[in-house]
Amino acid sequence: MAKAFKYGRKGITGQLEHAERDLLRNLFADIVDMLEPDSPAHADPLAAMIGLDMDVSVPTDPALKRLLPDVVKAVDAATAGAALEFRQLTERSLRETKIGALRAAALDLDSDKLVLDGERAKHWAMALNDVRLVLAERLSIRGEADAERIHQLQDWSQADDVDSYLALVYNFVSWLQEALVQAMLLSLKDGD
Amino acid sequence: MTVSTAPDLARETHVQERSAPDIPWVLVVWNDPVNLMSYVSYVFQSYFGYSEAKAGKLMMQVHTEGRSAVAHGGKEKMEADAAAMHGFGLWATVQKDDMNARG
Repeated sequence: MAKAFKYGRKGITGQLEHAERDLLRNLFADIVDMLEPDSPAHADPLAAMIGLDMDVSVPTDPALKRLLPDVVKAVDAATAGAALEFRQLTERSLRETKIGALRAAALDLDSDKLVLDGERAKHWAMALNDVRLVLAERLSIRGEADAERIHQLQDWSQADDVDSYLALVYNFVSWLQEALVQAMLLSLKDGD
Repeated sequence: MTVSTAPDLARETHVQERSAPDIPWVLVVWNDPVNLMSYVSYVFQSYFGYSEAKAGKLMMQVHTEGRSAVAHGGKEKMEADAAAMHGFGLWATVQKDDMNARG
């Protein structure tokens, strides 16, 4: 099992085993694949520069929609229109932000010992969070009761089907993120 | 700032519409069963610069009441903050500031 992240003199450090690094590398790559836009950047250089994308639509995959949510509560045609307009202006850059964090975290996996400064720790927290959002959607975690049910699964010998395997992966990533964020909160207190 | 001497530009500037008065908007963060309470608190502290106490209070409001109005300001600022929240993976929406938005 990985040593949980901790905050100390050298900043935020953590250690992952080989199999854990492989698992995280695959998870990060899966989410990057989901987030890669279907269409190439706009041919119009100005539109490309400001990230404008008139072809976007609300994602049909609920997991992708959770990563790229609407910015207004769509209650009628007007609010749905406002949400789509915002999506056209910002979705491409949001995808790039997320892909950037996932790729940065994946690069850190090349060594078994992690030493993270504030910015790299942030990328890690964002990447782990996006992995958890997608796994939670696949596991149909809709409320606190679902979350509690999934949390009960901690024994890898119980991984006898895809769902229980995903649940164990979800719990591992949650445990890792919690340790990381606790270290990041300590680092904030220190004024890092 | 430089002053343009071209008369055409000066006239154009003159007739430009004034921007609409800055109606107060609000950024609402919604509860979900996935985001860790510690992470939500970290985001509120690091992004908005809120104290540990204020971030913790807003985080608990999201957790117990289902949502919290975490920032107030002009529409553009709230939209930029919402995009940043989406970057962190928090579910945030913007709306005009009214009594309901205060949760």
